[in-house]
Amino acid sequence: MEGDQDTSGFTLVTRKPCFGLPTACPNCLPAYIYLKLAQLPFQLAFNSTFPDSDELPYFETGTYVAYNNEDGGVIEKLKKDGVVNLDSQLHSQPEYLSLKALILSWLEEALAYETWVGTEGVSAWKIYYADLPWVISKVLFYKQTYMAKTRLGITKENAEQREQQIYKRASDAYEALSTRLGEQKFLFEDRPSSLDAFFLSHILFTIQVLPETSVLRCKLLEHGNLVRYADKLKLECLEAPSSSSSPPLHSFPSSFSRKGSKPKSKQKVEKTEEEKKFKKRAKYFLAAQFLAVVIYLSVMGGVSNDELEYEDDD
Amino acid sequence: MANPTENLDPNPRTREPEDEVEEEEEAQELNSDDGELEEEEDEEDDDDDDDTVSNPQTREGQSKTESLPPGNDKTKDHIIEAEVEAVREANTLQELLEASRVANSNLRAMDIFDSVNITLDSGPPELPGTTNVVIEVVESKNPLTGQIGAYTRAEAKSSSVEASLKYKNIFGYGDIWDGSMVYGFDSSAEVGMGMYLPRFKGLPTPFSSQRSLGLSLGLLSSKYHELVYTVAWRNLIDPPRLASESIRRQLGHSLLSALKYTFKYDQRDSYLRPTSGYAFTSTSQIGGLSPDSRSLRFLKQEIDLRCAVPLGFYQTALNFGVSGGVTFPWGSGYRTASSVPERFFLGGNSSPVCSLGGPSALWGFSTRGLGPNEPRRRGDVERDFVGGDAAVTAFADLSFDLSFRWLRERGVHGHVFACAGNMAKLTENEFRNLSAPKLLETFRTSLGAGIVLPVSLFRMEINYCHILKKQEHDRAKSGFFLTFSA
Repeated sequence: MEGDQDTSGFTLVTRKPCFGLPTACPNCLPAYIYLKLAQLPFQLAFNSTFPDSDELPYFETGTYVAYNNEDGGVIEKLKKDGVVNLDSQLHSQPEYLSLKALILSWLEEALAYETWVGTEGVSAWKIYYADLPWVISKVLFYKQTYMAKTRLGITKENAEQREQQIYKRASDAYEALSTRLGEQKFLFEDRPSSLDAFFLSHILFTIQVLPETSVLRCKLLEHGNLVRYADKLKLECLEAPSSSSSPPLHSFPSSFSRKGSKPKSKQKVEKTEEEKKFKKRAKYFLAAQFLAVVIYLSVMGGVSNDELEYEDDD
Repeated sequence: MANPTENLDPNPRTREPEDEVEEEEEAQELNSDDGELEEEEDEEDDDDDDDTVSNPQTREGQSKTESLPPGNDKTKDHIIEAEVEAVREANTLQELLEASRVANSNLRAMDIFDSVNITLDSGPPELPGTTNVVIEVVESKNPLTGQIGAYTRAEAKSSSVEASLKYKNIFGYGDIWDGSMVYGFDSSAEVGMGMYLPRFKGLPTPFSSQRSLGLSLGLLSSKYHELVYTVAWRNLIDPPRLASESIRRQLGHSLLSALKYTFKYDQRDSYLRPTSGYAFTSTSQIGGLSPDSRSLRFLKQEIDLRCAVPLGFYQTALNFGVSGGVTFPWGSGYRTASSVPERFFLGGNSSPVCSLGGPSALWGFSTRGLGPNEPRRRGDVERDFVGGDAAVTAFADLSFDLSFRWLRERGVHGHVFACAGNMAKLTENEFRNLSAPKLLETFRTSLGAGIVLPVSLFRMEINYCHILKKQEHDRAKSGFFLTFSA
């Protein structure tokens, strides 16, 4: 009732699980994977009412808390505070910095664009707002979409140009990382690093969360070795609490081969769940209209017959 | 009923403007500072001074007329009439006087008039048994006002300085528009805007750890009953990032859609220094009244009982009272912790003698200074008092006049007091650990003595308080305290 809490365990507080991932938030998943790669036992707790917070994810043990908006992020803070550091002796390597720049700037930018702009927030709605009342969800969704566009420097004048630039950079980054990785298990020899956590999180989110029509997803699936890399690490690291089973990544639509596949243009959009729902509702509406007409005709037909009878009586 | 046409003055005065002043001398003037005793004396004087003028103000049923208030150039008539509705329904003189007093208070509380006067006068001779109720208001000449102050709120984590500007009655609906800036002592700053309508009360502007944006709608308001519906978007934040674990878990957005019913029966002779009578208040609140099942769902019940017993010498009176409250979530989340803003927090600089808003005041204990607590984030030695799902307080206060006449004339009096209180968490199966012996064992108690200085609208106390019993980490210490109650 009163007094100190139990301070013995580690807890990572993230946004809720979804899409077969232990946490579907692209900011929270790297921290989860990082702790798993470090084989640090921890509990998972969820906060589903703060979609616009930059404090999530945060790591806590007793009174120690590592927020994501401090010291460069929760992973950096855990390294700096000596809790867990997978990047020891890697900082001096020039490749480490260049790969870090690729993953944490170009790929992160591409993911943010695709989540909030490219796919119009379809996935973001389920990740961030499913547990909030509708009014609050709507306002926060528009707010976060606006902030994402601002952060990405997208305006009405440069929207197309910026989109092309983001996708081009993402393609180049995938190419570079695919070449760097080859068929290795990790990005750096046989040891996991924080870059593996970030990159694996990016791949899993892109493939499992973004819709199949996503341009970024199509570009990623062109690189088979990246998909296999993620598949292997996913089996080792992830324990998805979601009831839906998540299929292996390589078994995603076979139409996406390593070479020669062309991304579907945005104009040709497959039927989404929303369109199916809309068509269903349209059918009900038409049926209701037909029924109303039938009832009207039958009632009016009965009334006019009665009037005729009355006139006849007169 | 006496015939108002009997004993008529053979030369009756007509209601000319120059005669209204004289008539006002005879009629009962009702201003906000007049007490009931003064009104009765005026009535007797009228009877003594003017036997020949008809006095339709009998103690039996009567009808009345009203004149629309002069002075409201901007304010819509129906806004003012809504506040004086109870006057129309009064059937006896006592009810008329009481209703007029309440109406005067309500109109002043709208905060858009510089002055409000309600005058009761005899009705026209052709309408026997009637009373004219004349309401005179003077709208504020300068609609723009500002204020700056330092505040401490029970739900906030720290004190703050607030500056606000108000623009009153732009559209004539008693609307008040305000903008405010709050600077918290934890280096947090908030800017907010609010809008107030007489029946739609805007929620206060944001403060350091909780942002609220919403409306309160008064559905029913009478002498004993009040029904209010509140809808608000709440955001619990932690700008300094030092909160304890259970507070961290609750950070985020929530929708409050709640109905609150208050039954209040206050028969005490005075609000600031009660010497006889009793009061009972029951407040019931249900949250989650929304088609959206994701809004905040909770039940809350508070009860206050106060009693004042005169002892018959030196205007001595014994006041005692008990307050209790309980809150818990309902619906699918009934096993989870209750929402922090709905919990009870004890302690603070108010007197339990005056407060009738559930368990809150406890002499000697700081605001949010006792109850379930947790350590804050590493680096902060203070602890978070996270509030309780159930709370109970009790007090006894003996007030008496002081021997100095100068002090007695100004209402300054002394008092000795004792109080006790406790709170507990019930949710997350904590109620299973609760037992009466344990609750009694952890009761906080204090006693003290002091001087009460009643200022016109509030009561100030300078007390010496001695803490008899407190628990570990409670913020309480024996010493001198200043207490304000309104």
